[in-house]
Amino acid sequence: MSAEAKTSARTATKTYRPAMGAGWWTKKRHYFLYMVREFTALPLALWLLWLLYEIQRAGRGPAGYYPPRSTAFVIFSVICLLFALYHSFTFLKLAGVILHFKVLDKPVPSGLIVASQFGAWLVASIVIGAVLIGFGR
Amino acid sequence: MSEESKTVQKPALAHLFWWFMFSQGGLFAAVLLPVHILVQGILGPLGIVPVVDRHYDTWINILGNPIVKLYLLVLISLPFFHFAHRLRYLLVDLGVPAAKSLPAQVIFYGVAILVTLVTIWVLLTTAPISLG
Repeated sequence: MSAEAKTSARTATKTYRPAMGAGWWTKKRHYFLYMVREFTALPLALWLLWLLYEIQRAGRGPAGYYPPRSTAFVIFSVICLLFALYHSFTFLKLAGVILHFKVLDKPVPSGLIVASQFGAWLVASIVIGAVLIGFGR
Repeated sequence: MSEESKTVQKPALAHLFWWFMFSQGGLFAAVLLPVHILVQGILGPLGIVPVVDRHYDTWINILGNPIVKLYLLVLISLPFFHFAHRLRYLLVDLGVPAAKSLPAQVIFYGVAILVTLVTIWVLLTTAPISLG
């Protein structure tokens, strides 16, 4: 290899940078949805912090406790619910790709695994909903 | 002998732990969270159904139950280990490679650990444990 070729190879390695701006994810719908999936963490974290605050407020005694009733809070919850549903949908659907079982030497179809995940979600939602509503008055 | 064969292969236990917390946190958030937001965040405040946190007495009663305390600890703290990873990589994807660094990991997973400790403290100090 000539000295010139060596230099140009080294410079090429040094100067290479993947050309990807901060807005790459706005260019394709698939990329955008991927970023939305990552972003779901933020509203869900905020809602859980609110729940923690709601639990903490119960420690102030009967006079200091008041349940949330503002329109702003309901709107906040509606936005969080949309992100929560998107997280649930994408996360539980992934199970069909990640989990592999064999029953009687035959692989369980991924559709069945996904269906069982969604079934578990439904059952858990009914049970929790029943407790939250059933113990209320 | 090459460089690579000299290095001792160690099981990546830390990796396993954080990956486990990530997947379990994601699973618990996926399965448990939507119904809480729907019932406590929308249906309750709109007065469509009675909900346990609408009155002080029903809310403090259920918060005293040790099983409920354990459930709320799992519901609130585990997802934060999932969120920590997701938000770190959201930053990386938005062009902040520093979010991959060790200090960033300490900050993000540190917040998840802090939320866990605060949740334990709130659950233990808010309502006395009772089985009634």
